[in-house]
Amino acid sequence: MSNALPVLVPRAPRRQMWSVGGGKGGIGKSVLTAALGWQLARLGKRVVLVDADLGGANLHTCLGVPAPQRSLADFVMRRVEHIEDVAVETNFPRLRLISGAADMLTAANIKHQQKVRLLNRLRAIDADIILMDLGAGTSFNAIDFFLVSDVSLLLVVPEPTSVENGYRFIKSALFRRLRGACDVPEAREILDFAMDPSNLRGIRTPVELLSAVENECPAALPPLQAALAAFRPRFVVNQVRGPADAAIGQQLVTACARHLGIRAGNAGFVYHDDAVWQAVRQRRLFAAEDPEGRAAQNVRQIARGLLQGEPMSFDW
Amino acid sequence: MAQLTHYEALDVERGATPEALEKAYQHNLAVYDEAGVATYSLLDGDQRRAARGRIEEAYRVLSDPALRAAYDTELALRRAASGTVDAAGRRLPVTLPDPVTGADLKRFRESRGVTLAKIAADSKVGKRTFEDIEGDRFERLPAVVYVRGFLQEYARAVGLDPRATAESFLARLPRR
Repeated sequence: MSNALPVLVPRAPRRQMWSVGGGKGGIGKSVLTAALGWQLARLGKRVVLVDADLGGANLHTCLGVPAPQRSLADFVMRRVEHIEDVAVETNFPRLRLISGAADMLTAANIKHQQKVRLLNRLRAIDADIILMDLGAGTSFNAIDFFLVSDVSLLLVVPEPTSVENGYRFIKSALFRRLRGACDVPEAREILDFAMDPSNLRGIRTPVELLSAVENECPAALPPLQAALAAFRPRFVVNQVRGPADAAIGQQLVTACARHLGIRAGNAGFVYHDDAVWQAVRQRRLFAAEDPEGRAAQNVRQIARGLLQGEPMSFDW
Repeated sequence: MAQLTHYEALDVERGATPEALEKAYQHNLAVYDEAGVATYSLLDGDQRRAARGRIEEAYRVLSDPALRAAYDTELALRRAASGTVDAAGRRLPVTLPDPVTGADLKRFRESRGVTLAKIAADSKVGKRTFEDIEGDRFERLPAVVYVRGFLQEYARAVGLDPRATAESFLARLPRR
């Protein structure tokens, strides 16, 4: 037996993956992601925006960048070898873009292996923050990108349909994470059963699910509890029109804790601002057009708050 | 929400100021508001109404100094009845037999309202192991060095002295 001590190698500052998801289209996800990326770059981070909205990419438009010649599709389809080759500079310092534009319609359902390769290579990009714009809906791709992120943002607008979809997204993501953390077949059966919304046992929430697992196969419980505790989606409320709307983020956090057993976070809100869609029409980034406008200030506050809460600091 | 205390129903500290109480009350009402979005898809109308009723009741009591004082006394008595604190909330000295048995530990744990699931989750030790400890099923327990660690985790979780508890229990273990 060797007596050698393990050598501790100092770890390089870890790149962070951030993602913006939301269960519904048309709530301003791409616009907000573009503005957040721009703001993070402005705060000194080297940022790569990734349009992971496979099938409905339009991040380049929000940034005022012409549709790039090369996109994520070229990397996924192995037409280019290095993912850095599909990252293009934007008009803004420290901000690059990997577009998902062009022929990604079929790629919305990329294979598991492609996804693993993609995520590994994204993580290896030389940048401080990889910020991904996820597609609408609850496809496994969107959910997997959301789950592997260090900061997982969930965008909602103050409408019942949007919040309902947001909860659905969170529940789907959590069940997928729990299933991944579960290696006991009996417990997996309970999980699969609970995923079916019409399940007869009426398991509706993660809390009920875990108590069912505790009753039937307690040995499987600890890893599931750990997975639940590590799951921390953060809400961003977009298109807020007053103080009552601005308070919704915190209400969602309370509702998640009480009724889903999920420890969510509240990352902030962004006021509705006509200047935002006017800028989008002109294919310009609203935050860069008027950095002191209300919506742009809201985004700055979100960026600052998230950076303060980051697990480790970078050298700026 | 039925079994929650008024403080838990509003999610405030025992010593919450009137301002903090007011803020928590408004926040919680908004969470369950009929026209709000936060619990719209999680609860049905009846459940939301019941939740609002629970919040109103908690606020009615806690926002009135006299009612709140009476309620605090009631809570203190309730805890005292569980045998581990006196009416002023001070911890009573605990005497467990030495050497301590699994059954003694179980009785004490239950009096403290701590579940095995909680201890298992916090310590990342399987619940079965703690069941075996409480059931004095020595033959199923792993090596002493591990059991000592488990006992200390257990003792810490229920508020006993970790070292004394572990040694007291281990004294009864047959030598292997």
